[in-house]
Amino acid sequence: MIVCVAVVGHQNNPLYLQSFTEADDALKLHHIVHCSLDVIDERVNNPKRSAPTLNETFLGLLYPTENYKVYGYLTNTKVKFIMVTTDLDVKDADARNFFRKFHAAYVDAVSNPFHVPGKKIASRSFGVRVSTIVKSFGSGTTG
Amino acid sequence: MPPLTPPKSGDALFASVDRVNAELFTLTYGAIVRQLLTDLEEVEEVNKQLDQMGYNIGTRLVDEFLAKSNVSRCVDFKETADVIAKLGFKMFLGVTATVTNWDAEGTSCSFVLEDNPLVDFVELPDTCQGLQYCNVLSGVIRGALEMVSMKTEVTWVRDMLRGDDAYEMRVKLIKQVPEEYPYKDDD
Repeated sequence: MIVCVAVVGHQNNPLYLQSFTEADDALKLHHIVHCSLDVIDERVNNPKRSAPTLNETFLGLLYPTENYKVYGYLTNTKVKFIMVTTDLDVKDADARNFFRKFHAAYVDAVSNPFHVPGKKIASRSFGVRVSTIVKSFGSGTTG
Repeated sequence: MPPLTPPKSGDALFASVDRVNAELFTLTYGAIVRQLLTDLEEVEEVNKQLDQMGYNIGTRLVDEFLAKSNVSRCVDFKETADVIAKLGFKMFLGVTATVTNWDAEGTSCSFVLEDNPLVDFVELPDTCQGLQYCNVLSGVIRGALEMVSMKTEVTWVRDMLRGDDAYEMRVKLIKQVPEEYPYKDDD
């Protein structure tokens, strides 16, 4: 079950932050998202392998904490998507699928002529779409 | 008399004209509206400018439409409206409109668009609630009809960006201006 998703801009400025659990944990989740940004920077600056990885958008499991797993996804414009989940076994394909749909929703939200790049995403329909994608995460294992 | 070519159907018309990528079109229109808002700052002014732009486009568009579609002269306003909805919108926007809500005299009708390529991805921010985003379309219709001697008034009734379920514009024929010749016959 996904507890939090975040979109962070290329200057590490938050563009969208949404938690899906009761408010008590919200601060802790935001803290986890922050820490994962460091992990992403590390991964991006020190690629373990050569050229093929440089184009990789899905970063995979960033780091597991006590109860959560954090997954990352980097777009070619250095916008980062972070997903925090409490699921113990997350299939790689599910995570990739999630980020693919999330990326599509993000692109549609950013194509709004009234959206200012670099400012927070204020689109209500983006929020609705993200909730739908989050709800269908994990349950659609065949899709 | 040489044989007249029959008027083309909407799909054939659409296939025969040059087309542009829909997203490019949508993003360009969005950029125009944004720039107008930044330059003019007043939502009403932007609405007027969009209408004026549409009017200028419409006056030129109607010639291209008549040349490419080969339609014959329309008998009455009802036929005009049908032609605009089925062929006009299809040729230039790739979508068809439906004509509804005719009034008793047959001078006023509504065009309903379920699908509108101008507004993909758009969400109106709270500061621009009075903005009629598709106002260019009403200008186009007004301009085009004026070039074929019909003075009309076009207003927006429903707008999906404001929460309605479709786009509806009301076109009212004010008068048909007969063609005036620049010289008198008896001179």
